[in-house]
Amino acid sequence: MEQQQIINQLLTILQSDSLSNDEFNQNALQLFAYQFTNNLPYRKFCQQKGKTIRTVKSWKDIPAVPINAFKEVALTCTPPEEAERYFMTSGTTQGVKGKHYHPTLQVWNLSMKTYFKRRFMKETEKIRMGILFPTEEEMPNSSLARYLALAKQEFGTEESHYLLGDNGIDLERVIQELEQAEHSGEPFALLGASFSFVHLFEELAKIGRSFQLPAGSKILDTGGFKNQSKEWELDEFYHELSRVLGVPRKDCINMYGMTELSSQLYDAGNEQVPSIKSGPHWLKTRIIHPLTGEEVAEGERGVIVHCDLANYNSVSSILTEDLGMKVGEGFLLLGRVQGTEAKGCSIAVEEFIKAATEPTR
Amino acid sequence: MRERVGYLPDIGEEIIETKILTFTRKGEVLEVEAPLLTMKQMQLVTEKVKTASSEVLKNMSITEIISIIDTAIEVLLDRHSTYRKKAEMLLPIVTGYDKEMIRLGLTSFLKKFRKHELQRFVVEDLGNPLLLDDFQPRVKRGYSKAVGPELILHVWAGNVPALPLWSLISGLLVKSGNIGKVSSAEPLFAGLFAQVLVEVAPQLKDCLAVVWWKGGDEAREKEIFRYSDVVVGYGSNTSLESMSRRIPVTTRFLPFGHKVSFGVISNAALDSRKALTTAHHAAFDIIQFDQQGCYSPHIFYVRKGGNVTPAEFAQYLAQELESYQKRYPRRTLTLEEMTAAVHWRNQEEVTSFSNPAKQVFGQTDHHWTVVYEEGAAFSPTCSNRTVKVIAFDEIEDILPSMLPYRKILQSAGIAAAPKELFRWAEKFGNIGVTRITALGKMTSPEAGWHHDGGFNLLDLVQMVDIEHSAEEYAEYFAAYVD
Repeated sequence: MEQQQIINQLLTILQSDSLSNDEFNQNALQLFAYQFTNNLPYRKFCQQKGKTIRTVKSWKDIPAVPINAFKEVALTCTPPEEAERYFMTSGTTQGVKGKHYHPTLQVWNLSMKTYFKRRFMKETEKIRMGILFPTEEEMPNSSLARYLALAKQEFGTEESHYLLGDNGIDLERVIQELEQAEHSGEPFALLGASFSFVHLFEELAKIGRSFQLPAGSKILDTGGFKNQSKEWELDEFYHELSRVLGVPRKDCINMYGMTELSSQLYDAGNEQVPSIKSGPHWLKTRIIHPLTGEEVAEGERGVIVHCDLANYNSVSSILTEDLGMKVGEGFLLLGRVQGTEAKGCSIAVEEFIKAATEPTR
Repeated sequence: MRERVGYLPDIGEEIIETKILTFTRKGEVLEVEAPLLTMKQMQLVTEKVKTASSEVLKNMSITEIISIIDTAIEVLLDRHSTYRKKAEMLLPIVTGYDKEMIRLGLTSFLKKFRKHELQRFVVEDLGNPLLLDDFQPRVKRGYSKAVGPELILHVWAGNVPALPLWSLISGLLVKSGNIGKVSSAEPLFAGLFAQVLVEVAPQLKDCLAVVWWKGGDEAREKEIFRYSDVVVGYGSNTSLESMSRRIPVTTRFLPFGHKVSFGVISNAALDSRKALTTAHHAAFDIIQFDQQGCYSPHIFYVRKGGNVTPAEFAQYLAQELESYQKRYPRRTLTLEEMTAAVHWRNQEEVTSFSNPAKQVFGQTDHHWTVVYEEGAAFSPTCSNRTVKVIAFDEIEDILPSMLPYRKILQSAGIAAAPKELFRWAEKFGNIGVTRITALGKMTSPEAGWHHDGGFNLLDLVQMVDIEHSAEEYAEYFAAYVD
């Protein structure tokens, strides 16, 4: 199959309402054949695992590539230099960032818009937005910057704004926006990285301010808030989010996305944490046992693997470092496998890297 | 199953709160009940231990102390003793390590604390063991005596069984009161040893305590650090650093951070006859406690030019690891550890695509991973039986990549001819390695080793000098003076 054919097929799928298991399977296998043929490093990866087009019979057999691989090789079916855009992963291994190449952003954009509408906007067509993240111009290789720019452009009213200044959150501006919303009664949406919200809490706490946003207002946070001045528990985070901004926890939506994917996953609010997350009909998530690769039973912990059909140019199946548990039609995100510390006195990789960069005492 | 661990001296009628730590292995559940003292009880314990050790231990001779420890170790070496049986039964559940591995590991470890080894231990550091008992004449004239601190606090870490004995026994040899905090990963053995010790020498019953609190418990640590003369701490640099912030300047802190070790194999050890044995020894160092020790190797540097090439050696090593898996299976990993292992392995596989010389042996569902590479950077693996074999031509080629890590290097297991051994030892010593040992012996340091380059006893004691002048001066005041 040709790239254009794949893209066209995908655009149709993205616009459809659903996909039967058979259809998903068929599309995934087609895509696997395309990627196996055109993505050389991926082909080697599959061969190492003894998997070829002939032996892969179901989308579940498609070898999942660990996210780290993006830092090591160019996982792309077309020459990297021909890509319209590449997004860079945030995490680094010894200073190297991974790149995810997109020959065109057509699919990525449609995937984002379609599912954002369904899970965040719902019946609302446009909403006044405040964005707690740098602009796309400031961070051209950040998929999150692209995501938020698209959200604002497609679903934000004219009065939507970025609320970051040169030194982080522009507090005055944020307060202005929130006050304006309180007064006008017009629903307001605040979107941004989870850690920006943590900073916002801290700033507002200093001056003892909190708000009561009008009904219909929403919050979207994404990413984690590790390594902040204070470790936040999920429950505490959403409690605070809801208290400070006056938005019910059911309208505080968390988006779970990865640079290595071309689609996003969401929960339906955070009244209870951890919330159940799920993705669009063109993405399926499996929870597997890391050594055998077999799916674990419902209610058991395992590692999260996504098969995202919109990832047409790189690899459809991604092995994450996230732990999860299958629940009904979705899964619980139970956190990231941190570089596990040895149980004995042998050094862990992270500490090792730190040792070399610290000055000798 | 429930087991009460730790050891407390007699502090009167006190209700001791305990913390239950639960361990599961292959369906067996063990609840470990560890003593969690209140601040007040902690204070009572420190006072008791200080007083008792100054009244009892300090008045014993080093020979007596050695023979008591020796008797206690005999009990633990005796496979029919109830204590030994308990250790063999419970440690596999607590640590997850294979039963046979624990049994052999315990024996080879405990052997190092018998009478003769302990004597060596003392002579090693002090030259003259009697320095611990009495003022001993010095060559420069005058006299000196080695005095142990009143109270040593040991903060142990990790799950390698019996490891706390190193510092606890050192503390006893210098006649100090000892309080040990066991780690949540292996809260058992130190207390067991204390119980045996007191059984064979009831007079020591108040000279030591083995307790538990959650590592990093600031209030508790601040309080007890104040009472201690020396704190011996184990753990990651992060936890040691936070510990050090709570230690008053008047308390001496001996931190033992995490370390990394490696092996080096000469082509002399790679002729067709010897290569298999060499691989066997190397594999043993890897499987013993699943590379969780600071002395466990992560990398084997293999010199080119032998009958067996470095790549073939990697293959041998893979085979040895596979057969060890049958005899001493790897402990069951947590989901986090498994995921880390899979990611490590996958990443090695991915990088091998652009590097034709690189090979990754085994499959994801194997319980080991061997990676063969040329010119790779020095970096620890994710442990749990994952190892890199790196080919080299000259020893000088591999030194630069280790240089940045001199603070955290520890053991080098070496298979080489005598001349090479000494030449390499010189080089490695210069870049921070503190222990050169035989392949196959990496995980069992000899009695009297210099742990991380330091001294076991000398770092604990304080020397007291009687200068010659004092002695001479005293003569004026003698009753017999004319």
